[in-house]
Amino acid sequence: MSATTAEAGFSLDRAANTIRFKRRLAAAPDVVFAMWTQAEHVSRWWDPTGEPLTECQIDLRPGGAFSFATEAHTDRPFAGVYREVSPPSRLVFDAMGSVGRVLLSEAPEGTLLTVEIECASPEHLEQFVQMGVAVGTAQTLDNLVTYAGEA
Amino acid sequence: MVIEQAQQLDRAFFALSDPTRRAILLRLSESPATVSELMDPFALSQPTISKHLKVLEQAGLIETGREAQKRPRRLSPTSMMDLADWIEPFRRQWDARLDNLEAHLESVKKQEQ
Repeated sequence: MSATTAEAGFSLDRAANTIRFKRRLAAAPDVVFAMWTQAEHVSRWWDPTGEPLTECQIDLRPGGAFSFATEAHTDRPFAGVYREVSPPSRLVFDAMGSVGRVLLSEAPEGTLLTVEIECASPEHLEQFVQMGVAVGTAQTLDNLVTYAGEA
Repeated sequence: MVIEQAQQLDRAFFALSDPTRRAILLRLSESPATVSELMDPFALSQPTISKHLKVLEQAGLIETGREAQKRPRRLSPTSMMDLADWIEPFRRQWDARLDNLEAHLESVKKQEQ
């Protein structure tokens, strides 16, 4: 019954109310850490559609705030506060009522990246993903509009 | 219909919030089992097991079969699909994001070379 799919690197840990993504990246942990913590880099990959962010503010210190706004949702940025900033292995932040953890460890050909999103309760996890679903659905529609405009 | 689905999802999440019920589901994912077959590994009384099974069944996570005098419980395949469907767009969103990260890393590496 586990939703774990090792090859896809995605798991839903219901016991810990945590969603977990794992990736192997062909770059050293300090390079990957920079990708997550420097605005000029975050801006280039955060939006799932691939568009650069319209706003990307990062105050990289415990208690410092960040705000990432995509073109489709300029009015609703992904905003939060850093809780722990430990290059090159750990970045922890509070955002949208959940705790986000970016864990980087050295792997033979680069870095093993683990992203965890931990919610306070199963109800919160449900709510959180439903919000994500809402955003994802909006994005799909946006893509469709763009595609239709180009056709 | 939409409200019904949301209520069903609420029930599924409530059912999954208990460690014993998660363990029962895990056991049933291996093979169907009757109440008495579930009593042994969990060291729980028959009424306690039955209570958990009732919650799981109401949440649509398991079904009751019929084999002669036995009533084996088994996983309901569709309900787990509902849960998987529900989380799928969120997973896709993050997968796309991490694909972008990977592509961006590659382009940065090329620039540096």
